[in-house]
Amino acid sequence: MNVYKYASPTNFYPLAGKMIPWFATPAAILFAVGLFVGFFIAPPDFQQGDAYRIMFIHVPAAWLGMFLYVLMAIYAGIGWAFNARLASMMASSISVTGAMFTFISLVTGAFWGKPTWGVWWVWDARMTSTLILLFLYIGFISLQSSIEDPRRADRAGAVLALVGVINVPIIYFSVQWWNTLHQGATIRILQKPTIRGSMLWSMLILLAACWLYSVAVVLIRVRCIILEREQNAARFAEATL
Amino acid sequence: MLRWVVWRDLILAWRRRADALSTLFFFVIVVSLFPLGIGPETELLRSIAPGVVWVAALLASMLSLGRLFANDYQDGTLEQLLLTPQPLYLVVLGKVAAQWLTSELPLVCMAPLLGVQFGVSNDTLVVLVLSLALGTPVLSMIGSIGAALTLGLRSSSVLISILVLPLYIPVLIFGAGAVEASIIGQSPAPHIYLLGAITVLSLIFAPWATSAALRISVE
Amino acid sequence: MNWPDLSFGRYGFYIWGSYLFALVAIVWELVSLSYRKKSQKQEKTSPRVLRGSTNETTS
Repeated sequence: MNVYKYASPTNFYPLAGKMIPWFATPAAILFAVGLFVGFFIAPPDFQQGDAYRIMFIHVPAAWLGMFLYVLMAIYAGIGWAFNARLASMMASSISVTGAMFTFISLVTGAFWGKPTWGVWWVWDARMTSTLILLFLYIGFISLQSSIEDPRRADRAGAVLALVGVINVPIIYFSVQWWNTLHQGATIRILQKPTIRGSMLWSMLILLAACWLYSVAVVLIRVRCIILEREQNAARFAEATL
Repeated sequence: MLRWVVWRDLILAWRRRADALSTLFFFVIVVSLFPLGIGPETELLRSIAPGVVWVAALLASMLSLGRLFANDYQDGTLEQLLLTPQPLYLVVLGKVAAQWLTSELPLVCMAPLLGVQFGVSNDTLVVLVLSLALGTPVLSMIGSIGAALTLGLRSSSVLISILVLPLYIPVLIFGAGAVEASIIGQSPAPHIYLLGAITVLSLIFAPWATSAALRISVE
Repeated sequence: MNWPDLSFGRYGFYIWGSYLFALVAIVWELVSLSYRKKSQKQEKTSPRVLRGSTNETTS
């Protein structure tokens, strides 16, 4: 079977359509199971009471935000290096979902911070790095939406995503440095409790659910992108005939 | 080739002195706004001085980046530069060097005066100048990537800011951190060393990314 | 199965708040995608005509 034919957007479109239910349904099921375990089975924490339950959505969202950025950069790089349109379309599709998960992790992190630390926002290393990651996503999305030529948008986004992905460790390290320097003057950060048992299961199940959801949503969006570019190309061809 | 590019850009910038000077004035005005917004209390001002001066330097760099490639792009010189047999890396390096000399170096020279405005000691002024001198090349280098990516787009200056400011954050942290360390009496050396490392890395890698971005934007 | 205290002690607002926000974000993403698909379908059946794309020489 020739797999490479799916590198063409027109061939990939129906394949993606068939794949979506295989990811969307398990995602919905796992969301339900994970939330059930997290809310009904996991006991209240010794230190934090029930507030730790926010971690079940906060940690998966944060991980996915970071993972999706790297994945986006890889797809964008492949699209640029091999001149593969579909890979670049995937990168554009992932960017929105990744930004959304990063935003969710910031907001849920704030909701977790208020009862545990007393303030909505603390400039600790992780939250600050997540905020910067959101800025990087926004930069990528803004750049791609302000370039009209889709191929130039793809390649420019690839350069930006690759520069970003190389910078992320540097940014993370420098933010950690900055945070430890200033820690004395700010609030003492409570250590997260070691997580085990049903709490861990709930988090892992929700992580899997979020991942499956991301795949489904990215495939749905990439189908929209394929259609849009096809329509634009057809209209352009008509107009210039 | 490198020398020729730098010299040409310097001459062109000299013919439009107002552009470089306006960047400098923007820097001064922004720094002066903070005491007006916060209050003239010396202790407070001394503690915010590193951050304020550095952030103002970042913002002022944003202004000058739009001009880096735009003029050459509009009159077609950039396409010719892309076609020369000399490596584009050198052309980019030359243009960025010229931009640093015309737009960033005045900031570095003006910084001590602004530091005095904030009641900062002489030793700290030295660290301020040193950190800016090491950090501003990185601002030019990374900014050139943004300028190349957004070439010819509408509202490119705002877009450059959105793209590039998150990438500036390590420079800001170590640069302002060095000055702050000096203010509270600690050694700024670790910050300066890390800043230097970032400068060297960006000097090696950024022009390559900028060249790639230029080829993407022009073709 | 033990029903937990639905207000979770003092934390109810925060826990429900964060999950509600996540739900809103997910729903927003799905709704915006379905809107995009709908407008694409409309485009296909009755495309917006570019001015000057027909062969008529007088407007």
